[in-house]
Amino acid sequence: MIPGRSRGGPWVLLGNAALLVALFTGSYLIAAAAGSSQGWPPWSGDIVLAAAGLLFLGLAFLFPLHAGLLNFGIHAQFLAGFIAGSLVARSADILPGAQGLLGLIAGAGGGLFVGVVMAWLKRKLAIHEILSGLLLAAMLIPVARAFGVEPAAAPALEIQLGTLARTLAWAPGLHLAPSFVMAWGILLLAAGIGLGLLAAHLLRASVRGFELRAVGSNPLAAVAAGVDVDSMQMLTIAAGGACAGLVGALQLWTDPAVALERWPVPLGFAGITVAFLGGGYLRGALIAALVLAVWLNTPGVAAALSSPVWGGAMAFLLVLPAFWNLPRLIPDQGAPRAIWRTRHRESA
Amino acid sequence: MGDNNARLDVKGMALAEGTRWLVQDLSFSVNPGSVHMLLGERDTGKTAILEALAGRRKLERGTLLAPAPAALVAQPAGSAQIRVLDRLILHRQPKRMGLFIHWKQAREEARALAARFALDGLLDVPVETLRPLERRLLELAASLAEQPALLLLDEPTSELGPHEARHFLTTIRRVASEEKIPAVITSAFPRDAYPDAEAVTILWRGMEPVTVTTHECSEGTLVERWTGGLGIRRTPSGHHTPGEPLLRMEDLVLRGRGRETSLAGLEFEVKAGEVLAIVGAPADGLNLLHDVLLGSRSPERGSMQFLGKEMIASTRRHRVESGISFVNPPHARDQAIPEFSIEENLILGQTAGPPFARKGFLRHDSVRGNAVRTLRDFEIPEAEPHHRFRQLKLGDRQRVIVAREVLRNPVLMIARSPAQGLSLAAQEYVRRALVLQCERGSGLLWLTEEPEEAMRVADRLAVLAAGRFVWIPVTETLTREMIIDEMSGAAA
Repeated sequence: MIPGRSRGGPWVLLGNAALLVALFTGSYLIAAAAGSSQGWPPWSGDIVLAAAGLLFLGLAFLFPLHAGLLNFGIHAQFLAGFIAGSLVARSADILPGAQGLLGLIAGAGGGLFVGVVMAWLKRKLAIHEILSGLLLAAMLIPVARAFGVEPAAAPALEIQLGTLARTLAWAPGLHLAPSFVMAWGILLLAAGIGLGLLAAHLLRASVRGFELRAVGSNPLAAVAAGVDVDSMQMLTIAAGGACAGLVGALQLWTDPAVALERWPVPLGFAGITVAFLGGGYLRGALIAALVLAVWLNTPGVAAALSSPVWGGAMAFLLVLPAFWNLPRLIPDQGAPRAIWRTRHRESA
Repeated sequence: MGDNNARLDVKGMALAEGTRWLVQDLSFSVNPGSVHMLLGERDTGKTAILEALAGRRKLERGTLLAPAPAALVAQPAGSAQIRVLDRLILHRQPKRMGLFIHWKQAREEARALAARFALDGLLDVPVETLRPLERRLLELAASLAEQPALLLLDEPTSELGPHEARHFLTTIRRVASEEKIPAVITSAFPRDAYPDAEAVTILWRGMEPVTVTTHECSEGTLVERWTGGLGIRRTPSGHHTPGEPLLRMEDLVLRGRGRETSLAGLEFEVKAGEVLAIVGAPADGLNLLHDVLLGSRSPERGSMQFLGKEMIASTRRHRVESGISFVNPPHARDQAIPEFSIEENLILGQTAGPPFARKGFLRHDSVRGNAVRTLRDFEIPEAEPHHRFRQLKLGDRQRVIVAREVLRNPVLMIARSPAQGLSLAAQEYVRRALVLQCERGSGLLWLTEEPEEAMRVADRLAVLAAGRFVWIPVTETLTREMIIDEMSGAAA
């Protein structure tokens, strides 16, 4: 749970559960109405990789949120990871398997870099992370197109509702062997689960976790207690950026890309939905990522998303948790502003 | 124009919050042009009564005849970055064609309104740069723009120094008289009733309210009735013998923000085992001095030597690690985390190593043990270590803060209005706990806007007025009026 925020009570849990039920039943009913039972081409690694991707995206939003930052730059970090991974994939003299793993590392580095840039902009110029994050995403979309393995449109990269109706296409990827993708995908999912559980434990038990919770709850009190708030925020948004960047690079592992391309809104923002559906808890995000990965691979989803109306409805459902989760999880902006004013305007 | 010349009548009013009675059997009346004061500590239902008078809260029992519309002026909040002009027309703008603001007319109307409160020269000044008194006057002026028939002010003097409070209350009386409307104010200070209020209703928790007129009841008698004989002038543990100098401030110069008074070369020292009280209005340099001591502002000139080491450029963390402890007002946001548990708040700033941390991990048994002992020693029996800090009453919260700081056994404690807004019992407890720390050899620097508080705790006393110190000997003949006169410059 994000420190300093309301737990929300049973209504929030009920709302999140109702939304998941609506997603599953809606997809089923749409598929039944269309007389279609077939979904996307079956692929054994889809659920594993989709769950891993969604989980890391959820962590990308949750880590900074614990330090009081709203990481709306998650899509920019995702794109930076995709770009970095693509650059590795262009190196023909490396084996595809090595490319895949190196791409993940490069992607994490790319996302981390964007996170650091956002933190720097906030620290030096007081540019809010929502603004810098969205602007960086807008700037990186054409770059992602230019650097992608296949410059043809990658719909999940775009911020256009029109892409909902379009047949989804993707870069050709690295042509990795299914066994490789499956094995490493399971390892990646396990790593994500381990990272989430470890982070939850450290938040509760370690001194740094205690300080991080203090920063997220009340930065003024954290400063008074001797915590370096700026460094702590930079650390978490960089860690979040690395997670989102890793998922960006992960898109190159399959063709089409990891099934996450079916996500009906810009893909990076999936992390926000995962975080909200998890109620702001790290452990909740693990469950939400797994459930959504299963949903993405149910047959009705393809039918639903191929229709502009139903695709739009699904997109709305995925954004809906923000209405009841964001107000209770949103950081108190008063205290950070007071800190900034102290530092920038009132010191001699 | 509202229903002017109408009288406010309250008979047998009862208000409740959930299952708890806030106030019962409240009766009083206020004539047009008069000021009535509701006197009570926190949680005695003062704000709820004002809300009921303004028609925003349902009465459980009783009758209310209140002229309408009512203007309820609460604590100034938000909209601090707009100009004075914008604030004055915020709720009522002259329009052109019903769509666009008629700025010329708006400025004229705002200027006329501001002139009544001597604010007309500040129309284009951002609200955040105003002094606290000016902000209060601005809120009062803005409320008059709506032409109310009843004026309600919630704790209007809570952030003002005594002479500023006196000026503001006189202004309220003048406005009520000119507009021929009744005015009701709330306060936790008996002095606010004199000389401008006609009558005072004393509120006690769980007891029947009592209304007295200021003609029949002197201020001393009012204090006696309200506090039940709890003396105002009493040093908790007697005077202390000062020891070695701990803190020495020299030639402190700092320009004020907005219309704040600048610090003009302050010099003082705090010795071990003594209480140095500095009294002043927040905008007369007290806030600036506090900021410098906290390390959140750097002065333009001057030095701060603690135990012989220069610390003027050091961070708050460094100061705390060097042995300085800070206790701020109970409402200050920088000394506790409301969503954390009590036990976590008790270790804030003490997690660098033993006893609460080891090898980068918290020692939960030590943390819990510390909380259990502290809650017992500082007499907070209803709280459990795992309870959230925000669940505590304000007085208990401040006890926890004081406990945390005292138990660190600091070399020097710097307290800024640590009992402000607390119940009488909690005020007494907090003051006593801090002053007792001096007997262990700590120095105590006490910054306050309350002359009474300073008189109760001080071994030495300085008044901060116009950015400079006026030193006043602490003797038996010292009176509150002498301090207020020095604060307002009237002594000269």
